[in-house]
This record gives sequence, C-alpha cells and structure tokens, in this order.
Amino acid sequence: MEAFVLPKAELGGFVAKLKADYEVFGPVAKDTEFVFGPIAAAEDLRLDYDTTILPPKKYFHRPVETLFKFDGAVEIAGEGEKVGKQVLFGVHPCDVNALLSLDKVFLGTYPDPYYKARRENTVIIGLNCVAPCENGFCSSFNTGPAMDAGFDLALTDIGDRYVVEVGSAAGKELAAGLAAASADDLIARNKALRACQQKITRRIDAENLGELLHQNVEHPKWEELKEECLACGTCTTVCPTCFCFGVKDYVDLTLKSGERPRTWDSCMFYEFSRVALDHIFRPDRAARIKQRIFHKLAYFSQQFEGSPGCVGCGRCVSTCIKSIDPVEIVAAIQANPNPPKEVKLFTPVIKKITPEKSPWEPQKAVIKAIKPQTKDTTTYTFAFVDAKVQEAYTYDPGVFNMISIFGIGEAPISISSCADVKDSFDHTIRAVGNVTNALAKLQVGDIVGIRGPYGVGWPVEEMKGKNVLLVAGGIGLAPLRPVIKYIQARRDQYGDFEILYGARTPNDMLFTDEFEEWRKIPNTRLYLTVDYVPPGVEWGHNIGVVTTLFDKMASRPENTIMITCGPEIMMKFVVRGLLARGFSPEQIYVSLERRMSCGIKKCGNCQIGPVFVCQDGPVFKYADIKDLPEEIF
Amino acid sequence: MAKPRIAVFKFSSCAGCQLELLNIEDHLLDVLGAVDIAYFVMAKRENHEGPYDIGFVEGAVTSPKELLELKKIREECKVLVAMGACACTGGLPSIKNFAGTQRQAEERVYTELWDIKSIPAYGIDYYVKVDAYLRGCPIDIGEMVELIKSALLGVNPHFRPHSVCNECKLKENVCLLVNKGKPCMGSVTAAGCGALCPSLNRPCEGCRGPANDANAASLAQTFLTELGLTRDDVRRKFLKYAGNTPEFRKGAEAV
Ligand SMILES: Cc1cc2nc3c(=O)[nH]c(=O)nc-3n(C[C@H](O)[C@H](O)[C@H](O)COP(=O)(O)OP(=O)(O)OC[C@H]3O[C@@H](n4cnc5c(N)ncnc54)[C@H](O)[C@@H]3O)c2cc1C
Ligand code: SF4
Ligand code: SF4
Ligand code: SF4
Ligand code: SF4
Ligand code: FES
Repeated sequence: MEAFVLPKAELGGFVAKLKADYEVFGPVAKDTEFVFGPIAAAEDLRLDYDTTILPPKKYFHRPVETLFKFDGAVEIAGEGEKVGKQVLFGVHPCDVNALLSLDKVFLGTYPDPYYKARRENTVIIGLNCVAPCENGFCSSFNTGPAMDAGFDLALTDIGDRYVVEVGSAAGKELAAGLAAASADDLIARNKALRACQQKITRRIDAENLGELLHQNVEHPKWEELKEECLACGTCTTVCPTCFCFGVKDYVDLTLKSGERPRTWDSCMFYEFSRVALDHIFRPDRAARIKQRIFHKLAYFSQQFEGSPGCVGCGRCVSTCIKSIDPVEIVAAIQANPNPPKEVKLFTPVIKKITPEKSPWEPQKAVIKAIKPQTKDTTTYTFAFVDAKVQEAYTYDPGVFNMISIFGIGEAPISISSCADVKDSFDHTIRAVGNVTNALAKLQVGDIVGIRGPYGVGWPVEEMKGKNVLLVAGGIGLAPLRPVIKYIQARRDQYGDFEILYGARTPNDMLFTDEFEEWRKIPNTRLYLTVDYVPPGVEWGHNIGVVTTLFDKMASRPENTIMITCGPEIMMKFVVRGLLARGFSPEQIYVSLERRMSCGIKKCGNCQIGPVFVCQDGPVFKYADIKDLPEEIF
Repeated sequence: MAKPRIAVFKFSSCAGCQLELLNIEDHLLDVLGAVDIAYFVMAKRENHEGPYDIGFVEGAVTSPKELLELKKIREECKVLVAMGACACTGGLPSIKNFAGTQRQAEERVYTELWDIKSIPAYGIDYYVKVDAYLRGCPIDIGEMVELIKSALLGVNPHFRPHSVCNECKLKENVCLLVNKGKPCMGSVTAAGCGALCPSLNRPCEGCRGPANDANAASLAQTFLTELGLTRDDVRRKFLKYAGNTPEFRKGAEAV
C-alpha cells in the first residue's frame, strides 16, 4: 500500500489545489443532517458527518436525466448533461462500495453512456470511518468501515492528520507533494479502523442470506411488515444501490418536440409493476417489501456477479418513519425460521453488449404496410429508414423491440414476422393504451422509433429433431408466429407439429387468413377454440378454454418441446395441464410479458425474483423459473 | 383535437383553484395558442354555452341545486376534470360530514335555517363519471398544463400517485417527521406538488388525498404513540381534506 500523510492544517491548501482542476463535491451540513453538495473551500467540508440524506449515487445516476431530445419523429439528438471533471471528497466506504455495485448495473449489459461518462470524469477521495454511524451495518458485507477498492485516494483520520492511501494513477498524481506515511502513521491508521470495526454492533449474520430468504418467502414477519410499512418508498430513494427508474416522454407546448427523461422509481410503489389495462403484478404491500429486501440481500448478487445489493449504509433505517430495518428483519426470521427445505437459486447468464451508438436512441423506422387483424389489433410492417441498419438487422423468433412514438412513449412489442424475411419486419399490436393507441392513428409512410431486438427467444435450435407443441392464447400468438414460419421453412428438421390456439371469440383471432396455409405444412395440425361464440357468428371448431383442446391433441411428452404464450392465467393452466399429462418442466417454455421500461436490464421494472425478463427472457424454460420466490405459476 | 373548448365551473369552494388558473392564463393562451376558453365566469365577461371539450369543475357538491348543475355539466363536457381537493375528495367542505348530523352542522354556521338546503359534501365523482383529477388545495399548475397537453395529444396523463415523501427526499429535505417530530402526512399523500409544504418547513396536510396503497392506519399510530398527538388531533388530520376516501378514513378510525 502506497500511503502519504495530509496534516489537517493543510487540508485547505489541498482542496484549493483540487479546485483548480475540478469541481469539488463533498459532505456539507443541511439543517440537522448532511448532504453531498458543492465545496467552495475546505471549511465547507464536514468530514465529521455520519451519513448523507441521498447517497453520492446522485452524481452518476441522476434523479432525473434526459436520455435524448426529439423534434417530431425526425430529429433525435443524444443528450445527457455535459460532464466536467469532478472530485467527490470524503465518500464513506459503504458508498464507495455501492458505486462498485452500481457499476455492474450501468456498465454491464448495454453500458449506459451517461453514467459511464460521469464515472470516468470523477475522482473519488474516500474517507474511512473511524467512528461508526448510528444505523450502519457495513461490516456484515465487508463494505466498511475501511475501503479496499473503488477509490482514487482514501483518507483515514488519525488525529492531527490523515493517512492518504493511493488507489489509482489519478490518485497518485493528486498526492504528489505529500509526505510519505511513516510506519507509526500506518499503525495509527490500523488501530483507528480496528477500534471502529469493534464498535459496529449492528450486523446481519447469516451464513447464506439467499437460502435463508428463499426458505422464508412465507413468514409471519412479512405480514407484520405489511401492516407497518407506509409504502412511501423513501427507503429505496435514499439507498445507494437502488437503480430502478421509469422512462416517460415530455413534450413542450408545440406538442412535437420534447425530451425523454428517466426518473428514479421504486419497487415499493404500488404502480411500479403496472402494465396496460391496469394490471398490477405486485399489488400487495408484503410482496413489495419482499421484493425490496430480497433484492437488496439476495437477488442483486445473483444478478450482478456477486456484488452486494446492500452495503449496510443504514440510510433506509434512519429515514423510515416506521424504522423498518433489514438487520431486524433478518434477525426475526433467523430467530424463528421455517423448516429448512432445499432451494434452487436460478442465476441467469450475464451478457455484455456494446452497441455502437447510445443504447437509448431509437432508429427511425417507416411503416410500410398496415393490416387490421381484429377490431383492436393490427399488424404493421416496418423497415428501418437507414438501409444499412435494415440490412444488418437480424433477430431470433420470440424476441422483441421497443417501439417509440416520440412525445408519447415507448412500449415493448414482440416481432411477429419470420426472421428469414430480410427487407422488413412485422409487429402485431393491440391498442390498449397511450403508445399503442397513438400507433393505431399512424399511416403508411409515418415514422416511429425502434430499438432492439432484445431478449431471448424460443429455443428453435434445441427443438430441432423434436416434436413441437405450440399453445397460444389471444394476442400471444403474435410472438409465436415467427416459430410457425421458421418451422415451415425448415420442415424436415422438426418432428410432429401441433398448434393449439384459443381466443375469446372467433372475431378475436389473429392471422385467420393464414390458417389454411399453416394446415398445409406437412405433419402439422391446427386446433382452434374460443371461449364463446356471440350470436350470429359462425364457428365450426371447439368451444372452451385452450386447455380443453388437450384431449384432442396427439402430442405426448416423449421427445416433445412445448412453447406457450398468452395471458399469465392461461399459461398457468396450460403448464398445469401438461405437467399432469407427464410433460416435465424441462420441456416447457413460456414467454412472460411483464412491465418493461428499458429493455436492457437497467430500469428494474421487469424483475421477477433475480430474473430480468427483458434480457434473461422473455422466453424462459419453465424449470428455471418455477421455483422463483414470486410465484409465477 | 383542434382548439378544444374549455369551460371552468365552480361549486362549493374558496375559488382558490380558479385563481391559481388565472395566474397562468396569459401563458396558457400564449404558448398553447390552442385552447378556446369558452366559459370561465371568474375570468371573462363573455361566456359561451356548451358543449365543451374539457370541463374543469372546482368545488364540492353540497346542495341539491349544485347536483342538478353538475349533471348538466357532465352532459355538456366530453372530458370532465375534477379540479382541486374539493372536487376530487370533498376537500374542506367535507369536514361538515364528520361534525355530527347535517342539521347540527348547519346550526353551527347559520342562524336562519329555513332556507338552507344542504347535503353532505362529496367529491364530484360521487355523482358523475370523472375523467381526470387535478389534486391539491390548490391545484398544481404544472399538472394543469400537463393535463391540457395530454388532452391535446389524446393520451392519458401520467400523474405519479405515490407518496409526497418521494419528492421530498429527492429535494434532500430534512424529514420533518423523523428528524423534527412534526406530524407530516407526506408518506400517505399523493405526490405532484413537489413536496411544496415540507420544503417550506411545513408538515404536509394531505391536501392531495391518499397516495396509492396509502397505509393511513399505520401513520395514525405513529402520530398517536410517537408524536404524542391526541386522538382528536389524529382524526382531524385524516378528515381534513379527504375524509371521504376509504384510505384516509382508515387513518381516522385507527385511533
Ligand atoms: C416482451 C413483451 C412483448 C410484448 N409483445 C406485444 C405484442 O406483440 N403485441 C402487443 O400488442 N403487446 C405486446 N406487449 C404488451 C405491450 O407492451 C403493452 O400492452 C404496451 O406496453 C402498452 O403500451 P401503452 O403505452 O399503449 O399502454 P398504457 O396503458 O398507456 O401504458 C400505461 C403505462 O404503463 C406502461 N406499460 C403498460 N404496459 C407495459 C408493459 N407491458 N411494459 C412496460 N410498461 C408498460 C406504459 O409505459 C405506461 O407508462 C408485450 C409486452 C412485453 C413485455
Ligand atoms: S421507508 Fe419505511 S415505510 Fe416507507 S416504504 Fe420504506 S419501509 Fe415502508
Ligand atoms: S438497503 Fe438500506 S442499508 Fe442497505 S444499502 Fe440500501 S439504504 Fe443502505
Ligand atoms: S427493485 Fe431493487 S433496485 Fe429497484 S427499487 Fe427495488 S430494491 Fe431498489
Ligand atoms: S417531511 Fe414529510 S413528506 Fe418529507 S420525507 Fe418527511 S414525512 Fe415525508
Ligand atoms: S430492466 Fe428495464 S425492462 Fe428489464
């Protein structure tokens, strides 16, 4: 360890020197509390602070941030605030470690250009803790009271001076001119930190938090917390590792130009998991508290290579009106745990994709054709305006795009065309809300924004040589249509093919004009069913929910892969029915369509347990998700 | 929507929301250049008959006559907006609902009772379908502009219905409740005001009504046991602006 000393009397000069090249931010007093704010001179710095209201996260993942500006559908300009060179002075170890966790989120899958620019332009001067803060429990996660990574310089108060450790080349440059630390200085440093460590009595002591929590998904503690918690979301707002945000368009008064900002959001909010038609995936407060606590203490490290989702900074405890406290929650569960059972923790594979342009900027695409399917559902054929982009565009059956109508917003929509078609692609869209209704008003020749393709599609490779059973409900046929076309084009590579399709009424069926063609695919059977037939409508097929077709089908579990998409309740019964018929969870694939805001594993909206539907799915092997703590089906 | 015809109506209220609207009228006409204020008695001499594209209703309904008027307004307006706490939840006029019988309330205010025909005060959606709500006492002008833009675009405005605490913490305010022991209602009140009161060192009074999934009973317990408020004080806090809502009623009844 290379270390220097900075006498306290020289702090002023040190800060003044920094200010020549950098904007300096650090802890300052605000009423009875502290916040990170601009530092004009060393006197402003309150290095005796315990914790700040918001963590330094706010300098990297801004509470509100413009992703880009637009003018009509035509001009899109990447925005992001200008980032100057800055120093964060006096960051505690927990917050330094929290930034290392956030790095995994924002610099991992699809690096975020804005976060990245700020990280690269910021020097971190850390401050090790020589006195524990009131509610912290950093030592539980080795994220304090001393830091061992993530800083350019790290100070430790040893009385009349700071020991200054060097953590990077930039740090070393800043330390130029300081005297080297003596052996006594280093002994004093170690003593001070050890003493602090011993004074930290708040601890989460669990051998394996993931297992403990998974075994106690049902526990009286959650119901107790549900009664207490105010659902105010403050715990997540102040948390240095929370990353969730929502994306929304703002238009100015021309109604044409505006910008697309992202704003911090929270899983503690009722509407966080709300999708179109007002379905809410996590309406229950107990479920939302579980999401938060599980995410902090278990999922985060499953999602991001072992990084801690809680660094024990204690902010959520200090700020909560009801003093709801992770330490106390874990202790209560440990004191009275459910009987142990075996739990399998599914950890998705981590990918990293570095697009050439900002992952936030949609490409312009033109509507080439519009074909009505039902009274509220339409198939649109798109092509990217930039021919090179269109040429390079490839996708797997079952993946999705984010479609933008500038000024209204963005929605995730599956691609419904065959991946073999090269000059265009289709989306089949039901008009249910803002974006989809706005789309319904567009005409051939109009421009929208599209980013993608995103996600994992149907296992068309694994299905090769096997029989395929396809079960679709309502609009769920749209993401399955690419599979039908794919098999049709490679008929000899697959075994028997059965398609079971159900809709509410005959008039709600999609792609009816293609049914004849599908029936003609060799070795393929198509079964149709509707929930009911309105008077005056002709119908020569089955009546009943889609599972009533199971008695008619020939598919047996042997050597078969089943793929299904439709409303969750339908998929639930489909899966149950097939399990009862001897299919194994390994043979069943489902597509989940949860709420999405980013598509690129950043906004947190689509999480189910440790899974991000946007990148780890939307298609999942049922075996992988069936044991997730958030009972899916 | 081409130049929507806008109308502003008033029932039992202090007219503060209309006043707030007046504060931006110039700006609104100027920049939008797109709305036609057809009926706004407080603002203009010349007013026109319906139908209207958007009707803003201020105030709670507290008499049979107002009820008839409201029903007519509903028929005349394509989009009907409840403007302000009184129209949204009953607001301050609804305090009388909790002050004994209707007659007792009337007796406390008036000496001549023979001509008083009042009914309990409710938000207007108790009687007619409401398409959008502008909460608060008074309304937030930013939300008003957002609502008009949304109407022009033909989309549902997305107002964020979570707690005021969220906006308060984003401003890094020192918490009035946790750090100063004041009975702030921000945690159960719907955001959108930018945490106006707490930012000025005044506890949130709950004028915007309940946030989504508000847990008023739990906050009431904190007021009672940790801040030492009396039962009556706690009750009054939850009945002040939105006692008609089941969410805040739970707060009043929890103590
Ligand atoms: C992987 C995936 C594939 C999909 N494929 C199709 C498809 O092929 N065809 C089709 O018609 N629909 C599809 N959907 C559903 C579609 O995304 C929603 O119906 C759509 O978001 C509705 O947008 P809206 O703005 O019109 O709805 P609104 O009701 O206006 O949306 C209200 C709010 O909820 C948000 N919201 C609503 N639904 C979703 C959602 N699912 N994810 C994120 N935010 C949401 C909106 O952003 C907005 O903030 C798919 C969804 C997913 C997740
Ligand atoms: S801060 Fe406390 S009361 Fe508010 S949502 Fe978090 S746990 Fe619940
Ligand atoms: S969960 Fe609480 S203690 Fe842990 S990092 Fe977040 S705010 Fe800090
Ligand atoms: S899902 Fe995780 S990161 Fe997102 S708000 Fe909840 S706890 Fe924070
Ligand atoms: S002052 Fe009020 S609104 Fe602000 S955080 Fe505290 S309780 Fe919430
Ligand atoms: S994380 Fe944003 S949609 Fe999945």
